[in-house]
Order: sequence, then C-alpha cells, then structure tokens
Amino acid sequence: MRVAFILSEIGSGIRRNLSMVTSVILVTFISLTFVGAAGLFQLQINQMKGYWYDRVQVTIYLCVDNSSEASCAAGPVTEDQRAAIEARLESDQFAPYVDTVTHETQEEALVHFRDQFANSPIVDSVTAEQLPESFRVSLVDAEKYEVIDEAFSSEPGVDAVSDQRDFLEAIFRYMNWASVVALAIAGIMTFCAILLIATTIRLSAFSRRRETGIMRLVGASKAIIQLPFILEGVIAAVIGAVLASATLWGASRFLIDGWLVNTFPQTAFISSQQVLLLVPVLILLGALLAGISSLLTLRRYVKV
Amino acid sequence: MIRFDDVTKTYDPTSQPALDAVSLDIDRGEFVFLVGASGSGKSTFIRLVLKEDRASRGAVYVAGQNVANIPSWRVPRLRRGIGVVFQDFRLLPNKTVFANVAFAMQVIGRSRAVIRETVPDVLATVGLEGKDNRMPHELSGGEQQRVAIARAIVNRPGILLADEPTGNLDPTTSMGIMKILDTINQNGTTVVMATHDDDIVNTMRKRVVELRGGSVVRDDAQGIYAGRPEAMAG
Repeated sequence: MRVAFILSEIGSGIRRNLSMVTSVILVTFISLTFVGAAGLFQLQINQMKGYWYDRVQVTIYLCVDNSSEASCAAGPVTEDQRAAIEARLESDQFAPYVDTVTHETQEEALVHFRDQFANSPIVDSVTAEQLPESFRVSLVDAEKYEVIDEAFSSEPGVDAVSDQRDFLEAIFRYMNWASVVALAIAGIMTFCAILLIATTIRLSAFSRRRETGIMRLVGASKAIIQLPFILEGVIAAVIGAVLASATLWGASRFLIDGWLVNTFPQTAFISSQQVLLLVPVLILLGALLAGISSLLTLRRYVKV
Repeated sequence: MIRFDDVTKTYDPTSQPALDAVSLDIDRGEFVFLVGASGSGKSTFIRLVLKEDRASRGAVYVAGQNVANIPSWRVPRLRRGIGVVFQDFRLLPNKTVFANVAFAMQVIGRSRAVIRETVPDVLATVGLEGKDNRMPHELSGGEQQRVAIARAIVNRPGILLADEPTGNLDPTTSMGIMKILDTINQNGTTVVMATHDDDIVNTMRKRVVELRGGSVVRDDAQGIYAGRPEAMAG
C-alpha cells in the first residue's frame, strides 16, 4: 500500500512539474556526459600508457656526415666507436637496465622511413646517407631511461639519445588537458544540476503543500512525506544518467570502434565495452546528486 | 488526556506571551469549548498539543506523555492520536470525498482492504452516505466540513481538536456539525473545540474554558459563552 501510494505521489508530482523535471533530466544528462567523457579520457590515457610504456625504446643515434651536434664534430661514427658503444651496452654494467639491443643501419633506417611516410612525397628525396644509423635499446624498466641517456649522450660517435616517451608524454599532456576541461564543464553543469534540482523540489513542495500539510496532521512519517519528492529528483537524474551513458556508448562505438581503430591501427584504444563500466558510476552519481540536493532542499522547505 | 502544567509560550520575547502560565486539565472523554477573542491563545493551545511548537516554559502532557520528551521521529505517532479540523476544511480539491478520507489512512500505511472497509463507515457517521465520489467543490460548506471531520477521525484518534469548525458555516449547518462532534464525543473521543460562536456554546452546555491575553480567566463545568462584551468582540 505504501509503495503504491508513494508511486502514485511521484507520478502526480512529475505530471504537475513536467517541464522542470524535463530540465533536470537534460541538465543531468549533459553534466554526466561530460563527467563520463573525462572518465573516458583517463581510461584512454591509462590504456595507452600501459601499451606504449612496455614498448618504449631508447634510441642512440650515431653521428653521420651532416650531424650538427658537438659530439659529432669529428665526423661520422667510426667502426671502433660503434663497436665500443655496442660493447658497453652489452656489458655487465648495463645488464640490469638493458633488455635487448638491435643495431639499425642507415639502409634499414631508410626502409623504416619509407614505410612510415609511405604517402608522403618527401620519401623520394631522402637517401640512406641522410638518415642516422642507431642502436635501438629496449629497457627492462622504461622509467630508467635517464641512465642510458647520461651514460651515452656524450660518448664519442653518438649524435643524440632520444626516448619515445618524450613524444608520448606530450600526447598524454594534451589528453589530460582535455579531460580536465571536460571535468571543469562537468563541474559547472553539475552545479547547475544541483541548483535546478533544488528549485524543482521547491516548486514541487510548494505545489503539494496542501497534501504535505495534511500528511503531517494525520501523522504520516517523515519518510512518507519526503520520499516522493526525493524520488522525483532521483528518477529524473537517473534518466539523465541513462541518457548520458547511452550517448557516451554511442559516441564511442561511432568514434572509436568505427573510425579511430581503423585509422590508427597501431594505437590501443579503449573499447565501447569499457564504456559500459562507466554506466553504474554515472547512474550512482546522478542518484546521489539528486538525492543529496533534494534532501537538503526538503529540510528547508517541507516541514515535517 | 491533555494537561497543561504552568505553560507559557512566547513567540517574540519583546511582546506579551501568547499563553501565560496556563494550567489546564482535560480528562479523557470530555468535551471542552475554548473561547476567547482572536489572539487570546486558542490557536497556540492547539499548536502546543500537536507539538507544532514547543512551550517556552512549563510542560504539555498528551495522553500522559510530556510532549517535550517525544523525539521528533515519534511526533507522527503523537499526531496519529489526534484528529484536527479547521475552519477552512483543508480538503484536497482534486480528490473525491472517499479519496480525501482514504488519504489519511494511506499515508500511515493502512492496507487497501482496511481502507475500503473503514471509509464508508466513517462517511456514514458524519452523514455523507452515497457521496463517496463527489468532488469537494460539488459539496456545500457543511458537507465539506463533514468530510474534514471524517478524515480527522478515520484513524480513530483519542483526541479531536477543532479550530473554529463552524466559523464559515451558517447556524443551521453549524448545529449539524455540532451534532456530529457530540456523537464522536459520546463514542469516547475527547473533543476540544475553539470557537467564537456563542449560540453553539450556549446550546451545548459543555465545559467552557475562556482565554484572555494568554491566561485562563474562566473554566465553567457547564458554561455559557459569557456575556462579557470584550469576549464577544473577536
């Protein structure tokens, strides 16, 4: 009986207040979509970190004819220098850090270059002599890049030591920024949602003040009086959360599964399955948002 | 049933208290008229019984319990034991007569079966048989007040508080309402009725408590409205 009663009260509350309830749905929808987008950016960053950091290599570029570095003043790397570098890389001193070492000749570098820039016209103008030969060093622990950098960057015959992480971290920085921006928008929209829910509950409480007044007089419990209002807000917010989840899922299907994965096959992307992990979080967040803001409003506007 | 023990209620510390050191004892099953001009403290009396307000000093006992000691989550239980009727009926305009009375049972969790059984009985008690499906605006003032009374007593409270229940009704209709209140009283419910209506008080010959400026100035076992002109003024 009580359940049926509360449900019918919620129904009449929503009917009377339809436009406000709709705006609550829309605002929570937008705010939670941005919350979810920020979450997806973070998931993607973690995914890429996990994927790339395992594959990160340190590249020791050796001097060529046209190297401009001071360490290359003596001209291109000599046979002896190359042998010394290789010997040092494979020595016991670096054994704890170095996993594997491969040598890439200028011809091999040209092949890689042509692969990488297959669609670009500069391919035809580049010759093997312009590309440096290098040692590709994969590390036991990618964080220990500094050790190799310090040990080899001033070695004779070495042009430069570069770590792919520099490049990756720039990407991650941008993605982090994007997620911060999404979170900021989410914050503002959430604030709007809270205010709007509070206003909606106030209006609803005002339009039902006769009922609540009578409920108090005949001894209805606080829960029976307040629950319909709280649930009204919570239901609206949960609908907003469901819409946000559906939007994020649809966007990830369309953008990631449908486009990014095919366009950048080398990159690890989050799957739309992972988006589903966000759904319970968003729904819970929406429910909490509405529950707490309506509770606070009710304490002021519905006397019990 | 209701005991006021030296109760003072001050809303605004700079002005005169709404109730000033009132001591009053109303027994189970009594019928008491609370008379006095507007602002004499009748409504404050009713609010204190319902624990809508707290006494500034002294103690209010309802059914043997000091209401100051009732925790807020138990206040609904206190109010279930008290029915209230107002001058302005306070019916829900979008609900039928039956639904208005049933509402009081729904919100305290009574089952549908119990409601279906009880409401027609109570409507019969107040003389509204066959009007279950009328809307409040289709009823006369007297009939609307009967619905309000039915709602107030449907949960069988031990006390019925009536705050000027005949204030909006003509004398004939008012007497009809008084008959109903009398019947309810005879079934064992304590009735406290605040009123301005001297005809009713003089006809009923019940206990009369007169308040003036927040103090009890008269308490007659079978009183009349009193001939004092200032009491008539409100």
